[in-house]
Amino acid sequence: MTTRRSFLSGAALIGAGMVTKAGAASLPEAPVQSSAATAPPLVPPNGRPYNPVVTLNGWTLPWRMKDGVKEFHLVAEPVVRELAPGMTANLWGYNGQSPGPTIEVVEGDRVRIFVTNKLPEHTSVHWHGQLLPNGMDGITGLTQPGIQPGKTFVYEFVARHAGTFMYHPHADEMAQMAMGMMGFWITHPKDPKQHAVERDFVFLLSAYDIEPGSYTPKINTMLDFNLWTFNSRAFPGIDPMVVRKNDRVRIRAGNLTMTNHPIHLHGHTFEVTGTDGGWVRPSARWPEVTTDVAVGQMRAIEFVADAPGDWAFHCHKSHHTMNAMGHNVPTMIGVDHTGVAEKINKLVPGYMVMGDKGGSMGDMQMPLPENTLPMMSGDGPFGGLEMGGMFTTVKVREGLARDDYKDPGWYRHPKGTVAYEWTGEVPPAPRAPGVPPSKPTETMNVKRDAKHHH
Amino acid sequence: MNCLHKLAGGASMALLLGGCASLSGDGGFGAAAGVSEQRTGLSASVAGRLPRNDDDARALAAVIDKKLGQPLAVDEAVHIALLNNRGLQASYWSLGIAEADLVQAGRLQNPVFDFKRSHGGGEVSIERTLTFNLLSLIMAPLAGRIEGRRYEQTKLLVSNEALKVAADTRRAWVEAVAANQSAEYAVQVEESAQASAELADRMRKAGNWSAMDVAREQAYHAQTVADVSAARKAAVAAREKLTRLMGLSGAQTAYKLPDHLPELPAAPQELGDIEQIAVNERLDIQAAKLDTAHTASTLGLTKTTRFINVLDLGVVSNSEGRTNARGYELSLEIPLFEWGSTRVARAEATYMQSVNLLAQAAINARSEARESYADYRASYELARHYRDHVVPLRKKLADETLLRYNGMLMSVFELLADAREQSAAVNGYIGALKDYWTAQANLEAALGGRLGDRQSTNKGVTP
Repeated sequence: MTTRRSFLSGAALIGAGMVTKAGAASLPEAPVQSSAATAPPLVPPNGRPYNPVVTLNGWTLPWRMKDGVKEFHLVAEPVVRELAPGMTANLWGYNGQSPGPTIEVVEGDRVRIFVTNKLPEHTSVHWHGQLLPNGMDGITGLTQPGIQPGKTFVYEFVARHAGTFMYHPHADEMAQMAMGMMGFWITHPKDPKQHAVERDFVFLLSAYDIEPGSYTPKINTMLDFNLWTFNSRAFPGIDPMVVRKNDRVRIRAGNLTMTNHPIHLHGHTFEVTGTDGGWVRPSARWPEVTTDVAVGQMRAIEFVADAPGDWAFHCHKSHHTMNAMGHNVPTMIGVDHTGVAEKINKLVPGYMVMGDKGGSMGDMQMPLPENTLPMMSGDGPFGGLEMGGMFTTVKVREGLARDDYKDPGWYRHPKGTVAYEWTGEVPPAPRAPGVPPSKPTETMNVKRDAKHHH
Repeated sequence: MNCLHKLAGGASMALLLGGCASLSGDGGFGAAAGVSEQRTGLSASVAGRLPRNDDDARALAAVIDKKLGQPLAVDEAVHIALLNNRGLQASYWSLGIAEADLVQAGRLQNPVFDFKRSHGGGEVSIERTLTFNLLSLIMAPLAGRIEGRRYEQTKLLVSNEALKVAADTRRAWVEAVAANQSAEYAVQVEESAQASAELADRMRKAGNWSAMDVAREQAYHAQTVADVSAARKAAVAAREKLTRLMGLSGAQTAYKLPDHLPELPAAPQELGDIEQIAVNERLDIQAAKLDTAHTASTLGLTKTTRFINVLDLGVVSNSEGRTNARGYELSLEIPLFEWGSTRVARAEATYMQSVNLLAQAAINARSEARESYADYRASYELARHYRDHVVPLRKKLADETLLRYNGMLMSVFELLADAREQSAAVNGYIGALKDYWTAQANLEAALGGRLGDRQSTNKGVTP
């Protein structure tokens, strides 16, 4: 297999040559991230102060100040991203990871972004949601030529309004976004007290179709993806969002998949406080437990984490909380395998009956193809979580330090606050007088047979 | 032979001929059997002679029954055929007939004017007309020489017949074992299809599948049931062919065959000059050579005497069909109108015919050697390809399919379909292996029954 290092070395050589020609001395350094863990928030070392965000399973791109301009350097390049322990993907990203690093600036900042292309084809960067000169909008062919492999382009504009944004290519975007080219962009308000929250999490929704046993996404898939991710991580590889009790929490999500995602939080109500268009006036906000993030949209939700516990947070499309699964596998529920199972086992040693009692694989630990994730997995304090994809938890705890994002482990429930088994006598289910006991399966058969006899 | 040559010169010495040629007692069987034993490595008789009476038959049956007591390896089958094939036995007896003819030809004839005989396919017709005793006295040495060489030829042809039976049996054994294996494969496929169809029916009962889905699975299953019947039919036919070649009947037909063909040997035989081997070793070629040599001597005789007509009839037939009618005619002619030139011309033409027939036989033998060797090597490569690539890759696919089933990425129906594909690959290997062993038998036949150190065709019962 091509390792990232060997994969990159060829491109890097070309890149270095081209950069030198363009004048490497004036180019800011391009930091590289090799880990898919959540990096601690990057407290701004210079420039205007702001409250940094936490990029879930990601990081924020450092910058340099040059003559009052914030200079960033993005390198578009092939990367190997760990989607979850046990699975890596050959993606395209920026500065060593996909999605690329979050760019954080402050309203009114002049921003200069160097974009070096180490991909095998041309690219560009579109600054989604920014108000900027037309020629900085990053649309290949329309507002600029493509950045050819080995070339570096410079984008420069003022971050005019605070809000939640993202960046992605607008060149061969079908392929480049399917390969993971995307990143988050936060423009903080000038006044750090404005919209201030204690914890501010950000991530992008992305989807990949990676055949079990392979490493590279099938870029021509339109809707039938098999891996649904927050920041190119699939549960159980997604970190929990750790918050202190009574923190005001903001979660911002951007959707670069090809379908909408109803994002649902347990145990709290929240309000949608922002879109990519800006902040929602307080009078226009309404309480929710689920908000739909449509394709190409950003949503910022806010809530006060007043309920301690481990609260589920996920996309409500149930297939999106699954990992790779066969979408054409027939339903086996209720199918009697008596006798047949033995026959099949004789023909296929190692065969086990699955799905006859439902889709859950329970605690079955069976070997899978290489480089894939179990359809649903993850262990909780009470057993298998049976979740994958776009799922994580918001862990609300008392007495955490302000900058403590470390996973506190499973919630310890106060006595008497966990659902429990009834061990007393179970009375027969009440039935209306004169109604025979229902047998749904039999009824279905009778109907079908009757139809066939006509 | 030497004896015949010495005495051929003078009619006066003909009286001694009776003392020189005599019946061997085994009808020449020993001589012919010796050749085939040398070529096949298997003895052609139980008691060193052809069975003649009930005791012989019982001894033979005891030997065969012992062999049939366990799964029959290919060499055992060939051995049984050599001992017990009745057609071959008949050929051996034709050798006896040739020997009797030889001895008879060497003895003084009763007074006859003309002596004409022909034989072919075991049938002999003799036609005699009254003629001078003196003439028969003159003719007797000639007839003795001709019968002598005919006997030699018959010996070779009978030996060759034994080799043919051996090769046919070898091929039939391979075919029968492979047919059994293929039938077994068909059963596996049927079982897999049956599981699919049964599961489909259960899915229908649970309300998960449509009538169409079920019908599709059941139709496939029905087809595989038909395939099993066809495969079993073929297995019976192949087995019966082998049974016929081994000359078995009654309780003996219940013999067992091994479950599998012998495994592919580590490497195919490397043979140097296969054409030379064929020309040197093939008994039919040797018979043709003998024929040509004797035709040459007949030509010489005709040229010398001019008035004695010795005409040999018949053609060399090196592999196909029944033995051709052959015969000769001896007559003494009074040179009244013609002084023997046409006779010489005819003898020359007959000789040239014989030379060309020999040449054609040699060309055929060389070509067959090349073809069968090429086929043998190619069959080996193909079988090895199946063994080393097709079957392992199918196994790999089956393993990967199971992993995908485990992950609920594929359904049990795909798992079963793949099991069938895997069986098909195994069946492909069986076919290729069958072709290899058949090609080996063909090569041995084309080379005259000898293939290097005759490795591993025997014993290999389990692959």
